Parts: sequence; structure tokens; C-alpha cells
Amino acid sequence: MSASVTGVVGMLALFALLALRVPVAFAMFVIGFLGIWALNGLNAATSLLASEAFTLASSPELVVIPLFILMGNVASQTGMSRQLFDAAYAVIGSIRGGLASATVIGCGGFAALSGSSVASALTMGKVALSEMDRFKYDDRLSTGVVAAGGTLGILIPPSTGFVIYAILTEQSIGRLFLAGVLPGLLLLSMFVLVVTVLCMIRPELGPAGPKTALSEKLRAVSRAGPIVLVIFITIGGMYGGFFSPVEAAAVGAGAVILIGLVSRTMKLPMLWAAAKDSVVTTATVMLILIAAHMINPFLALSHMTDLVAQAFVALDLGPMGSLLLILGIYIVLGCFLEGFAMLVLTLPIFFPIVLEMGIDPIWFGVLVVLSLEMGLISPPVGLNVFIVKSVAPGVSLGRIFVGVIPFWVMMLITLAILVAFPQISLFLPNTMFN
Amino acid sequence: MLERIRTLADRLIGLSAAIGSTALLLIVIVVLIDVIGRAFGKPLYGGQDITTMATVILVFAPMALCDRLGGHISVDLFERYFPDAMNRLIDIAVAAMGAVIFAALAWATWDSAKLSVMLNLSTNLLYLPKAWFQWASIGFLGLAALGLALRALELSITGRDIRKETQS
Repeated sequence: MSASVTGVVGMLALFALLALRVPVAFAMFVIGFLGIWALNGLNAATSLLASEAFTLASSPELVVIPLFILMGNVASQTGMSRQLFDAAYAVIGSIRGGLASATVIGCGGFAALSGSSVASALTMGKVALSEMDRFKYDDRLSTGVVAAGGTLGILIPPSTGFVIYAILTEQSIGRLFLAGVLPGLLLLSMFVLVVTVLCMIRPELGPAGPKTALSEKLRAVSRAGPIVLVIFITIGGMYGGFFSPVEAAAVGAGAVILIGLVSRTMKLPMLWAAAKDSVVTTATVMLILIAAHMINPFLALSHMTDLVAQAFVALDLGPMGSLLLILGIYIVLGCFLEGFAMLVLTLPIFFPIVLEMGIDPIWFGVLVVLSLEMGLISPPVGLNVFIVKSVAPGVSLGRIFVGVIPFWVMMLITLAILVAFPQISLFLPNTMFN
Repeated sequence: MLERIRTLADRLIGLSAAIGSTALLLIVIVVLIDVIGRAFGKPLYGGQDITTMATVILVFAPMALCDRLGGHISVDLFERYFPDAMNRLIDIAVAAMGAVIFAALAWATWDSAKLSVMLNLSTNLLYLPKAWFQWASIGFLGLAALGLALRALELSITGRDIRKETQS
């Protein structure tokens, strides 16, 4: 059997295993190991197994993942999401659709503390849905805005998606984090815009909330001050070159723990629980990464990447056409595959093509992560929609999916803007690193 | 018998996750001390060594708990279309497959550890022997393999799925 045929058989077997509910990491391990065995012998496969796991686990830059997860978990447990929401609510809650916009802004703020979209949707859902329900918001808008707003967690730094992308493609985590800032803010603004437009067209979707006095506004904003300071220190510290991403993550985690302990919103058992949650999530991510390092050499040895590259060349789409095709594939795959798994499975194939075509890898990273975000609210496996459903059991999945449609369209428009204007993604990393 | 092994395994899984959590909090403290020290011109000597090796612990220590809680990502799009018996069979096969994978990883790390001892490999500044952390990893990986093998046994003999009990 030729190397290419082995590669094709391996990929088909991989998808068969995934369809049979074999965990992504296990499936990649098995196919990667057996594939290398078939192509290069048992010794090569076992040597790779021996070297990859420990080497990857002892990569110093990897520690950024658990540290940012810890930061998000602590922020979630200490009610910082509530304070962010309250501040935004006090300022704009009294305008039509203001509560929904406040939810988006709260999600954006929480996204800057947490690298996880699921955590953003869950914590903000608990806080905001009951408030919107109280003010008779249409449940499609309220659930849709939480599901979509939660996705900001993966684009606005710190983002687990960017870290995984950086590790798989050997790009700078710091550059990717900075590249996500402006697109994240753009998307946040687009979400606020869609809420405003929807409530202008159909006011009954989001009635105005009660007016708040100026003193109350100031009090709510000042309560969120320490959180804004943490965000400023972590992201600003990276931008200013004071911290590496690992240091920024540790400083951020340390700062939220300190705020929690000083404000007495966090007790030691809560910190322990947050640490435990964080290491379990880390184990999930790390096992997939280790497995990815098993299957990637198999894809290279079997010339699968070359085959796909040749197909792209044969299509003769040019760099922009190829980029659009790849993004289209990501959007379609996002409907069926969990975003992180999709990233790990596809990057080894697409990334060399992207480099070959001269597409900026940092810009591509932003576009890919935004495509992953779209998958988080796309049926049938939109993870954030299921998270919101768990917080709003009274609203049917169908209504939540209808609610996210305008936001999904906005994401598509934002993706088009980011494709058309790469400077939006590249301005910050280029000004800092060049 | 299975029940007693489960109790023992759960204790060990809890302990290993606690070790992982401690490693994570240790990293936060070490990096913070290093950053603050650097601001005063005195970075923590060997901070990078401690962080790197603590990362190894925090990566492998919670592997067993991750499976115990059903934390591995899988695509369950077709689950509802499969008959119950097939789903059960898949669960057993997957758990057994996981046990083999973790056992293979432990065995491969054992091989690497022998090499580390032979070459006297250690970290750059504090000279922490690399093999110590590889042996620890072998323990954690072995525990994960044990947990998965136990889950496969429980599923095939009693039908008990420990992950569902945890979720409920």
C-alpha cells in the first residue's frame, strides 16, 4: 500500500472512530500510532510515543492554558461576571434593548478574564437571563444574546483557542492575543449593533429597563474597577512588553485570587475547587495536544498535506480564493465538530497550504478562531446553545437557535470585514513586535 | 470486590488531582514571585525550572480524574441513532482502548526515564533530575490506565457507568 493510500485509509478510519464516539484524543492516538507503524515501523512509532508526551508536557509556554483557565474559573466563582454586568446595566440598561447590550458588554469583559467561551456563556447566562426575563425580554433575544456573547471568550484574549493554534502552528501566543483584541472589540460592537437594530424594529423584543441615578451608575462602575484593572494589567502588560503571556496569565490569576480573598467573595475551598476544575480542563486539552503530536507526523509521512495542497493548486483559486474555501470548510465543519477538535484535526493539513500561499499566519489564526466561534452557536452541535439551554431550561432549543441567527449573521459579516481588512487583526501585533 | 477497588481507585484519583491542583497554585506563586522579584532586579533563581516541572505534574496528575468525570471530548452526534446495546459496547471498547493508550504512554515514559537516568538529565539551573518527574508521570498515567480499565470492567460486568453518576 502506498503512503498516500495509507494516509487516506487512516483518515477514513479516524472519522469512523470519531463517529463511533471514540474520544478525539484516543482516536488520534490510535490512528497516529498505527499509521506511523505501517509507514515507518514499530520502532518509529514507539520512539515518538516516548518522546512526545513528556516533551510536550514540559513545554514552558503550555502553562499559559491552565493559568488562564484558573483565572476564568476564579472570576466566575467570585461573581466578577455579575459586577461587569451590573456596571454595563447601570450605564445602558435603561435604553431599549439595553439589558441585552449590557449582557454583550459583560460577556466581552468576562472574555478578557477567561479564555473559554463556555465559561463566558455559563456565568453570564446565570447572571443576565433572569434580569432579562424580569423585564419581559423576548426569550429568543435573551438566550441568543447570551449564547452569542459567550463566544467572545474565544476571540478576546486570553483565549484558549489562540493558545492551541499557537502551539500547533508554532506561532507567538503574545502576537495572537494582541491580534484578537481589535477583532474582538469589533465583534462586540457588531453584537451591540444587532441588538439595537432588532429592538428599534421590534421594540417588544427588549423593553427599556428602569433608569438609574448617576450615583448608582458611578457606584456600579467603581465596583467593576478592580476587574477592569486586572484586564488592563494582563493585556496591557503583554502589549507593553512587561510580561510574557505566561507571566500575564499568572499575574492575572494571582490578581483575581487576591481580589476574591480581599473582598471575601472567595474562600479557600472555592479556590481549591477552581484549581481542581482548571487542572481537569487542562488534562482534556493536553491529552488532545499530545495526541495531535502523534497524528501530525503520520499526516506528513503519508503526504496527506501534499495531496490536499495539490488539490488546492488544481482548483487554481489563488490565495484569497483558497482562504475563503478553507474558512468555508471551517464554518461547515463547525456545525458537526467540537471547535477545539476541529482545530487539532484540520490545522496540520491546512496550515502548510496557508503558509505556502503567503497568507499571514497570525491573521489566519484570527480568522480560524472566529470561524470556530461561529461553530459554537451553529446547529446541531452548537455548544454554547446547549450551555444556555442548561441555564434556561424553559426555553426550547429551537427558539435559542432562532435567537442566535442574527448574531451568527453578524459574525459572518465580521469575518468578511476581517478578511477584507487584515490590518484590523495585524495592527496591534505589528506595532508592538515590529 | 469491584466496589472495593473502585473506592481505592477513587481515593487515588482524588489524591492525584489534588497534587495537580497544588502544582497549579505553586506555579502561580512561583511566577508571581519571579515577576515581582524581577521588578526589583532580583528574579527568582530557577523559577523557570520549577514552573516547567510543576507543569509536567499538573498535566499528568489530573488525567485519571478527567476520565472519571467524563471530560474527554467526543462527537456524540450519532449516539441517539445507535441501539443501546451498541452504545454500551462502544463505551466498553473505548474505556479499554483508553486503558491501553495510557498504559502505552506510561511504558514509553518509563523507557525515557531510564534514558534520563543513564544520561543524568536534569533542569538547567536547579539541577532537578528529570527522571523524578518522569517517574511521577508514570504513576499518574498508570493510575489513569487503571481507572479506565476499571471503568471497562464495571461497564461489562455490572453495567455501571461511573461518569454518569458523577454528572448526576
